[in-house]
Amino acid sequence: MLAFLLRRVGVMLLTALALSFIVFCLTNLAPNLEKLARTEGSVRMSDEAVASWIENNGHGGSMVMRYGQWLGVVPGWVRTDDKGVTRGRCLAEGADPASAPRFCGILQGDWGTSTVFREPVIDTISDKLASTGWLMLWVMLVMVPVSLIIGVLSGMREGSRTDRVLSTFSIATTATPEYVSGVILVVLFASATTGISPILAEWGWIEGRTLFLGTATSAMDQITFWNFALPVMTIALYGIGYIARMTRASMTEVMTQQYIRTARLKGVSFSQVILKHALRNALIAPFTVIMLQFPWLLNGVVIVETLFNYKGFGWTLVQAAGNNDIQLLLACSVVAVFVVLVTQLISDIGYVFLNPRIRLS
Amino acid sequence: MTEPTRKLHPAAPMLAAEVRAGKLSRREFLTRATALGVTTPLAYGLLGLEAPVQAQAAATGGILRVGMEVKAQKDPRTADWPHISNVYRGWLEYLVQYNADGSFEGRLLESWEANADATQYTLKVRPGVTWNNGDAFTADDVVRMFTRWTDASVEGNAMASRFLGLVDETTKALRDGAVVKVDDMTVQLNMSMSDVAVVANLADYPAAVVHSSYVDGSDPSANPIGTGPYLPREVSVGQRAILVRNADHAWWGGTVPLDEIHYIDFGTDPAAMVALAGSDEIDCNYESTGEFIDVLDGLGWNKLEAVTASTIVMRMNSANSDLYKDKAVRQAIQRAVDPAVVLELGYNNLGTTAENHHACPVHPEYAEIPKQTVDVAGLKPALEAAGLAETEFELISLDDGWEAASTDAVAAQLRDAGMNVKRTVMPGSTFWNDWQKYPFSSTTWNHRPLAVQNMSLAYTSTGSWNETGMANADFDAAMGRALALADADARRAEMVTLQTILQDEGYIIQPFWRSLYRHARAGVNIDMHPSFEHHHYKWSLSA
Repeated sequence: MLAFLLRRVGVMLLTALALSFIVFCLTNLAPNLEKLARTEGSVRMSDEAVASWIENNGHGGSMVMRYGQWLGVVPGWVRTDDKGVTRGRCLAEGADPASAPRFCGILQGDWGTSTVFREPVIDTISDKLASTGWLMLWVMLVMVPVSLIIGVLSGMREGSRTDRVLSTFSIATTATPEYVSGVILVVLFASATTGISPILAEWGWIEGRTLFLGTATSAMDQITFWNFALPVMTIALYGIGYIARMTRASMTEVMTQQYIRTARLKGVSFSQVILKHALRNALIAPFTVIMLQFPWLLNGVVIVETLFNYKGFGWTLVQAAGNNDIQLLLACSVVAVFVVLVTQLISDIGYVFLNPRIRLS
Repeated sequence: MTEPTRKLHPAAPMLAAEVRAGKLSRREFLTRATALGVTTPLAYGLLGLEAPVQAQAAATGGILRVGMEVKAQKDPRTADWPHISNVYRGWLEYLVQYNADGSFEGRLLESWEANADATQYTLKVRPGVTWNNGDAFTADDVVRMFTRWTDASVEGNAMASRFLGLVDETTKALRDGAVVKVDDMTVQLNMSMSDVAVVANLADYPAAVVHSSYVDGSDPSANPIGTGPYLPREVSVGQRAILVRNADHAWWGGTVPLDEIHYIDFGTDPAAMVALAGSDEIDCNYESTGEFIDVLDGLGWNKLEAVTASTIVMRMNSANSDLYKDKAVRQAIQRAVDPAVVLELGYNNLGTTAENHHACPVHPEYAEIPKQTVDVAGLKPALEAAGLAETEFELISLDDGWEAASTDAVAAQLRDAGMNVKRTVMPGSTFWNDWQKYPFSSTTWNHRPLAVQNMSLAYTSTGSWNETGMANADFDAAMGRALALADADARRAEMVTLQTILQDEGYIIQPFWRSLYRHARAGVNIDMHPSFEHHHYKWSLSA
């Protein structure tokens, strides 16, 4: 068990290292640095000013050395410009160059400063991850029970009318991408001119002009049913269909097993058979799928957070990529690796408990 | 206005006479007279009118929510978006303010005077202005600001090229003796060349006045010492900025009506703004464009309009592409486009057609030159003569609503005229990287009070924003002369040359002038400004 854990952590570190290096290379391509210089300096800077900006802000020199600086195994850059002002990676604004540390990378716990948000990356990431955490929590709370219920209901009597109806629903929702379902939901429920809101407003059933809010920006301060329902439903709908299909497949397979038939023949009631005998075995496959939803959710929120203007991890990723915020993108990729591998680790361990036939090593 | 001995600029009564004779519109008169140092009430007085007083029926108090992108704060002189300045306008003020009616109003300056050939300006500091840390605002602050603005060694200093008459050629910094403190309340500018745009430049959004303790290049909201009535409570990039009335500061202008102003960032999608207006999450927006103007009207919001010289220019670049080196080709391309069609298809007719020379009738020195005729049939022969009949021309634009639509309309007309056009749209994040270098692309230009301002930046051979590669010695010479004439009537003679050359060179297709709009819900008293400036102290909510 310990060896397994160590091996997994090792893989995680290696993956993070490799991915962050790839991201570093991509964000440090010449045109991307130029873009960064223009957003940081001025959109209408001359080419010479751009070149001097890149040089003066530590983006010159070899890429491997700069990656080393980010890691904290190479001393941070220090540069004194024409006016005698010394700037450097490890220097805070106005700090004395003599007393500053030589190394300041992630090994020293320094994640750098975000150029878009003008604050330490670690603050941005933790802030935004918390916001996304709330979104994911609500998505999971809606998605997991609903999809398992749908899956179990349709899987226990394969081919029945219930099965057909629920399966159609599952396939429809999982076949609709978020950027489509999100827009449809907004048009139906959160527009003052289309959908059901104008009708409800005319009847006097709702106070404002729309049933739900079309943006989740206010949910940053306070989550309410009105500002959070649409983004949560948009993400959940897609997952519901998918997990329900998996659960249904697993359930139908279990229902054909000999021991289920035996239990039925013994005279155990149908509900008891489902709850006591079928469920545990049927939930093994969906469990893996649900754990796989975490990394997928982290990607899925990119679209939904942008669509609903909810400022979480996905939105941050879009901003960081759009502005070539090197430090922030690197941190995002490390976080992504971490989330993927940790959830997979949990899923592997959980699997052992659900299925005694599997051993970890 | 408090100084009885101050002389009226000699040109001002002449201008007033022109208004009465019908040679000059009242709007142009105000722009020009106030630029010469005549105060707004006096300017109205010369016309025999009373200066309009803003309706003060509004109640004090309340929070206004504005939907606007919140960009990262920058050193004001390097600010490259009005959005940035609209946040720091809360606590930073300007020496001079350009009002929506075309007049210049002294803010931290009480008054100013120019000599006849616009080489010497005398600036009078407004008495009784204090910084919010208690320091008095004096002539020293004004001198310090000119030093900051003229420092060309700062990367992206947008002010550096604005005061060339004050700059030492060799050090690229303020020339000794260019800005002189006469006494605590008076500053004199001694220019090495005539410059008619000094006052207009002082009013532009990067010209905010910062305190002596401000660290160059730092975030101005981090240590918000300023003269203005508000303080930033929070500035979160991409999320929101909150300005709160500074209760501990006796602002020279009295008490501002609004308690708080919340700028909330909902991205750039205009459809989102409509949704926000519908669900009552904002009280007003930053700008309404295209078909969304009608939609917001339909929601019962008030439409606020500003007449401007903002425009879009589809320009060819002869410096980066051989395709556009031939003047005949450029002219043929220019003439194959009917501006009226572009205005209708690209901008819903929310403006007026222009004449391909980037001078607008609202500019004081605008000269009327013979109208061009649209010549669709002439394009094909011109391309064949140049051996370009089969060549593919790429026309690039931003992927933003009306900019893309206007450029599409131009491309469609060129295709109809027989040119092989490929359209490329780019997102803003990549488009602006090379905006000056594309062979053929569209650029938006903001409103500037004087026509020579944009023209000298964009079309002289040394202009810092020259995106056409145009280098016409006659044009440069005429511009040099025009910039020495404080009197706009005299400048108009040069404008004839400038406009004619620019039009004739054929580099630009400049189809229309935009009117700018924004919307506010009923009960919100705000205005729309031609350069998107937010004058917070004028805003209020009806009780």
